[in-house]
Amino acid sequence: MSGLLPLTSREFKKWYRNPISLVTGLIQPFFWIALFGSAFAGLADLSGASNSIIEGAPNYITFILGGVLTITGLFTAMFTGVNLIFDRRLGTLGRFLIAPIKRSSIVFSKIFSAIARIIIQVAILIGAALVLPDGLRFAHGFTLFDVGVLIAAVLMISFIFASIFNLIAIRITQPNSLFGILNLINLPLLFTSTAMFPPDLMAGWIRTVAKYNPVSWSADSIRTVIINGSLTSSQMSQLGIWLLALFVLAVALVLLTYFLSEKGIRE
Amino acid sequence: MTETIIKTENLTKTYSGSNVKAVDNLNIEIMKGEIYGLLGPNGAGKTTTISMLSTRVAPSGGKAIVAGYDIIKDSLKVRKVIGVVPQDLTTDEDLSGYENLMMVASFYDVNKNKAKEKAAQLLRLVDLEEAANKHVKTYSGGMRKRLELIVGLINEPEILFLDEPTLGLDVQTRSQMWKYIRDIQEKLDVTIILTSHYLDEIDALSSRVTIIDHGKVLVTGTSEELKAKLKGDIIMMTFKTQEEAEKIKEFPNLVDVKDNGPKSVRLKVQDSDRELPNVIEFISKNQLSLTRMTVQKPSLDDVFLEYTGKGIRDAEGGGEFRQTMFNMRRLRR
Repeated sequence: MSGLLPLTSREFKKWYRNPISLVTGLIQPFFWIALFGSAFAGLADLSGASNSIIEGAPNYITFILGGVLTITGLFTAMFTGVNLIFDRRLGTLGRFLIAPIKRSSIVFSKIFSAIARIIIQVAILIGAALVLPDGLRFAHGFTLFDVGVLIAAVLMISFIFASIFNLIAIRITQPNSLFGILNLINLPLLFTSTAMFPPDLMAGWIRTVAKYNPVSWSADSIRTVIINGSLTSSQMSQLGIWLLALFVLAVALVLLTYFLSEKGIRE
Repeated sequence: MTETIIKTENLTKTYSGSNVKAVDNLNIEIMKGEIYGLLGPNGAGKTTTISMLSTRVAPSGGKAIVAGYDIIKDSLKVRKVIGVVPQDLTTDEDLSGYENLMMVASFYDVNKNKAKEKAAQLLRLVDLEEAANKHVKTYSGGMRKRLELIVGLINEPEILFLDEPTLGLDVQTRSQMWKYIRDIQEKLDVTIILTSHYLDEIDALSSRVTIIDHGKVLVTGTSEELKAKLKGDIIMMTFKTQEEAEKIKEFPNLVDVKDNGPKSVRLKVQDSDRELPNVIEFISKNQLSLTRMTVQKPSLDDVFLEYTGKGIRDAEGGGEFRQTMFNMRRLRR
């Protein structure tokens, strides 16, 4: 994909040269883990059987880490579409469309730079969770397998939502339309998932929705490996199903993004 | 200058949702090395023509060959050998001028060392060396236009499309841009296709010009040829007496002669440069006393008026005053 490298490096330059977006992007994970960790920590003390509610995690931060990592990926990915719309509005897109580069490289430069930012945020988040008092505790040590699952889950959820929002941005000319869609779905997506809450505390119908919400798949995959360490065979097969579902969805959306952007990006 | 570099055959564009042909069976031929002007009012089809030739917009009909490649079948190859400077600004404000150049160079797979050299050369050419490493958002309007100009040249194109390169610039900056455009054409061995609705711009820069309106070619030629088609220059003279004014009408080699108010005459001659000495000789021989004399060569403005039936400013809705002026001039002629 010619053009991908220079365009991605451009995205990076724009990111680290904007001190506000750089700093907020790096601090945000701290806030999230600290705030969510304290705000919902009471859940763990609800009853004597608290550990079973948070699925056997030693504390709430350990329970919620998978959720926060997923949400970080989700939100950062969603916002990438906006950059494409601003390129269109500010005229730079016109220059890219004249050049002999693949149309898809314009869109994928946004997606890949978002993914790279997400990986940095994830690393900070894990570090923050580890240093917080009563923070992240690995019951059984942290293996390479855990790292693999964690990264795979976050990457796939990020690819899924970065693709969706860039697909929208291929046609849309108003940044506000994209923000509207974003605001419409981000919180519902979050609260109909198991990212923040243990399913046992959910209303019945939400629990059903949560089961089919990709956000839950990612959060639960990470949670399963962090809390349990070595997995039973039924946990293993459940993990396999979640990851496979995420993979299929991510590949389908990335391919769709590729073909639709190659077909034409609105000027 | 005899090699054809762009040729269109009945090139047509109808935008979806519209019945109007933005470009209507356009046939033009552009020669290698020339600065070719496309002149027409806003909405005449200039930008659409350039957009099609630069493969940004797909034609609805007809065909075009650009630097030997078909714009539909070989659009990628066309893109590689052309440079485009669109009407709108396209450089990234958050990058420096130099970074913008290097980024665009890499779109064209220009070797990095060569791109560095080229960028330095181009920045020097338009006097942007000092600002090269500053963010584009700190540039003035004229500086940004200059940067746009050289961004379109970083891939060493055979053909450069300039769409309204001086739109919105002040008079001084405009003539500065003209100088840069001439420099580019001289030093970089590139064919330039220039659109403009400024007549003086086309007149000053282009070797040949095509006037288009409503997507159709009205006339093509060098601006000298086009002016010559108006058949002559005007010499206006005022004399002391009406008798003298009548006498000058006997001057031979006239194309046309009209009264222009009391004691005043409007002569039309083939070539004022050549006829003026004869006119003066005629005046002195007949001992006429001249009080006032002006020579008017036709401008591209007059050419435009002749072919479109309207002044270029009126075509843009430029106001009734200009319309009246043009009508008056036409009546007087």
